[in-house]
Amino acid sequence: MKQSVMSADGPPQRAIDMSGQAMPNRSPRVQQSIHGAGEKRRAPSLGHLEAVAEDESTTVTHEALETESPVVEIDNFSLYYGAKQALFNVSMNVPHGKVTSMVGPSGCGKSTLLRSVNRLNDLIDHVRTEGSMRYGGMDIYSRNINVIELRKSLGMVFQKPNPFPMSIFENVVYPLRIDGEKRKNVLMEVCERSLRGAALWDEVKDRLHESALGMSGGQQQRLCIARAVAASPDVLLMDEPCSALDPIATAKIEDLIQELKGEYTILIVTHNMQQAARTTDYTAFMYLGRLIEYGPTLDMFTKPRCRQTEDYMTGRFG
Amino acid sequence: MAGLARIGAISVILMLVALLAVLTTAAWPSIQAYGTSFLFSSDWRPNELNVPMKDGDGHVIIEDGEVVMETIPPSFGALPVIYGTAVSSVLALVFAVPLSFGTALFLVRLCPKKLIGSVSFLIEFLAAIPSIAFGMWGLFVLSPLLQNYIEPGLRSALSWIPGVNGWLFEETVKRGSKVVTSEVPLTGSDLFTGGLVLAIMILPIITAISRDVLRNVPRAQIEGTLALGATWWQSSWEMLRYSRSALFGAVMLGLARASGETMAITMVIGNNNQIKPSLFAPAQTMSSLLANEFAEASTEIHRSSLCEVALILLLMSLIFNVVARWLVVGKGARTSAAA
Amino acid sequence: MASSTLRNPRRSSRPLYQKYLRFSNGLFMGLCVASTLLILAILAMVMLYLLSRGFTHISLDFFTKVEIAEGMAGSPGGMSHALVGTGILIGLASVVGIPLGMLAGIYLSEYSSNSWLGAPTRFIADVLSGVPSIVVGILGYELIVVPVGNANGYAGALALAFIMIPIVARTTEEMVRLVPNSYREASIALGATKARTILRVVLPTASGSIITGIMLAVARVAGETAPLLFTAGASRFMTFDPQQPFPSLTVAIFLFSTGPFKDQQQLAWAGILILIGLIFLLNLVVRLTVHRVQSRRFAGA
Ligand SMILES: Nc1ncnc2c1ncn2[C@@H]1O[C@H](COP(=O)(O)OP(=O)(O)O)[C@@H](O)[C@H]1O
Ligand SMILES: [Mg+2]
Repeated sequence: MKQSVMSADGPPQRAIDMSGQAMPNRSPRVQQSIHGAGEKRRAPSLGHLEAVAEDESTTVTHEALETESPVVEIDNFSLYYGAKQALFNVSMNVPHGKVTSMVGPSGCGKSTLLRSVNRLNDLIDHVRTEGSMRYGGMDIYSRNINVIELRKSLGMVFQKPNPFPMSIFENVVYPLRIDGEKRKNVLMEVCERSLRGAALWDEVKDRLHESALGMSGGQQQRLCIARAVAASPDVLLMDEPCSALDPIATAKIEDLIQELKGEYTILIVTHNMQQAARTTDYTAFMYLGRLIEYGPTLDMFTKPRCRQTEDYMTGRFG
Repeated sequence: MAGLARIGAISVILMLVALLAVLTTAAWPSIQAYGTSFLFSSDWRPNELNVPMKDGDGHVIIEDGEVVMETIPPSFGALPVIYGTAVSSVLALVFAVPLSFGTALFLVRLCPKKLIGSVSFLIEFLAAIPSIAFGMWGLFVLSPLLQNYIEPGLRSALSWIPGVNGWLFEETVKRGSKVVTSEVPLTGSDLFTGGLVLAIMILPIITAISRDVLRNVPRAQIEGTLALGATWWQSSWEMLRYSRSALFGAVMLGLARASGETMAITMVIGNNNQIKPSLFAPAQTMSSLLANEFAEASTEIHRSSLCEVALILLLMSLIFNVVARWLVVGKGARTSAAA
Repeated sequence: MASSTLRNPRRSSRPLYQKYLRFSNGLFMGLCVASTLLILAILAMVMLYLLSRGFTHISLDFFTKVEIAEGMAGSPGGMSHALVGTGILIGLASVVGIPLGMLAGIYLSEYSSNSWLGAPTRFIADVLSGVPSIVVGILGYELIVVPVGNANGYAGALALAFIMIPIVARTTEEMVRLVPNSYREASIALGATKARTILRVVLPTASGSIITGIMLAVARVAGETAPLLFTAGASRFMTFDPQQPFPSLTVAIFLFSTGPFKDQQQLAWAGILILIGLIFLLNLVVRLTVHRVQSRRFAGA
């Protein structure tokens, strides 16, 4: 945990170097750079803080996004936990078929925004929302939307792997089970395809009926991805899916995200700049509950338009 | 201080040793006399019996114009009270477990935050009401209610179902060589009433433990099911599944309570030492047998047999408690380690 | 591999199954609410009945007179002897049960860490609190009443103490464990012995919550009937001599309510009212003090 935080704030040049590289490949040197970062950062100077205050209220959205067709449209969305406001007028469109990452310092509201999309925040008491959020043209927060169906279209992968205490097979087909699917062959087919999709099939095909709790952390997380995929969602919401995993497992999941790209629209929260740079098409930068800047990942890293974005991307504050 | 404290600890251990040793010693004559048949015989007759002696053809023997009598020694078999304890406890679980789990789910997932404290307090207060109070309520309120309204109502509602009438509402008695079928008199003092009263008494403990258990289901599990599109009930079902062994422990604790409960059940179960299949027939449990007969046991063997019943009751409750605690605590430890 | 083979086919939503899901969801949600309401209704029914009957039949005589046999002038009298009897029994039981239970609890929390004795004691204390109380009564009978030759107050008090000890031991342990280690270390650092630390620092710090636990144990034994039936027995007279058969509220209620006489049954209702009132008070005090103790603990943290 500590390590990944450190890596996110890694030395400035390196982060920029990273973004200049061809995306998916990770050399051992990169691996090292992710986890070897140990330098202390300078405290932000007063000048930066002023910049923060300046462009606080408006989101800078790059033009490249205008050509994309949105799946999820977030419009002036605010969220309150009781009296505490966690999201301030967030507006962003999640482009269809692309991988979009959300970055920003801890507590800036990334998870909150992600969990608002599939309405998992409904579970928390005293949550109030303003503004709108649409999925495929439907208002997510309208009274007559079917939340159950909505969640079936929006798969979610959590920060910590959360396999259910049942067999690997039953875990994967759980979304079908709750739909009342009983046909063995259908279940088996979906199970295999989902596990293959999650690059897990070869590892577990001989022990499908053993408990999922006996798997390694990385396998469990891929199982959770397989489970989300089994529901055949349109969008995959991922909340720091690698933060609890070791580097090798992280690499596997990143490869997997590359595989899933194109099949699904992916909205991924990450704390890890390098990961964002490597795996995503678009990046949204959030700070203190606001969406500051949103644009193509490469541009966000190389020529950010906001001071705060630059400071964050180059690791000057975190 | 260390020495004194050690005395305290050792006295706790000695208490259990004393229980086992004293009861085993007291039960020894009965154990020797009846062995394992004590567990399987349904004949509980503390007094010796004088009956006319019969010859090989089953005729009464008459000598000098007088019937020749023979004396049958008393005999003790615990089967009827084991049966009564088992049936009344299981009946109590059948009534109490769904209600308790439902209430626990309500408290964990539905109840407005403001009400949780008071609802929990009220349910726990139910646990503090002494057994004797439930006994009086059962005797003077529930029993007449069942006798006059509910049991006749059930009879007219259920007896058309094949088999049910014969099972619940009729009994066959041997009168000499004839087998007579008669209606079970509905008295309101029977296994069914006993099960109901026990159910009320074990509701709080099962509810409280399963509430704690369900509250400890990791958030990630619940959100995991919901994010996949599970309904409220489907995700609740997964919560129940997730904590099934601890919930089973809660049920075991309820069972332990129900099977050892004495005063209330003594006042409503009808106190009849016979095995009858009908739930509406009076019966006897181990504890009610002790409450009824122990003070009046005049012979050595009678008292010893009662002590053996107490010993069985003790061992049973020890087993239930050990298993239950192992399940509840073991599971709790596992969940907290995983979290 | 063509990536499209990785994609699961979109499942057609089955309207009928969705309807079923919505129905079962509502049904079970409703059942959960209903079961809570039912339990509360049962509680209300039991309580209201017991209270209303109790209030109808309670009178000054109840507190001032002893039982007067049926047919005698002034029958049925009152239950003062039983009230006093229960008080004395609880007092005697506390004299034995509280110190022993507290000692065991102190042992469990302060001394058991590197001793083989700890785990079995804790386990046995837990298991003992689940032993049916009638069995405890029989133990008391075999152990004391048989050698002495008659039912007596001491036997009854010891049976109650037997029930108190495991409860007091486990609550003492838990409460003493909550005392921060820094308190102990501070005291030891000042040169106090371990015993002195426990007596002067640990126990006073935990005293509020230990008293709470003791009150719960008292509430529990105050309502016990079964362990007294064969040990203390019953008596119709005001007595202060525990060597004799001893009256108690619960046994008197049992005998009255299962007996044939209407006016004695009415006394029993009044007795139940007093008993429940006593237990309710103890629980209420516990609940209030527990809140205070907890908030103090949070404030300290
Ligand atoms: N359940 C909650 N109740 C109250 N405040 C919350 C809750 N969850 C998150 N918050 C607050 O909302 C803010 C955003 O949190 P979060 O979305 O988890 O941030 P991130 O995922 O970016 O680290 C934080 O300040 C956090 O304290
Ligand atoms: Mg987060």
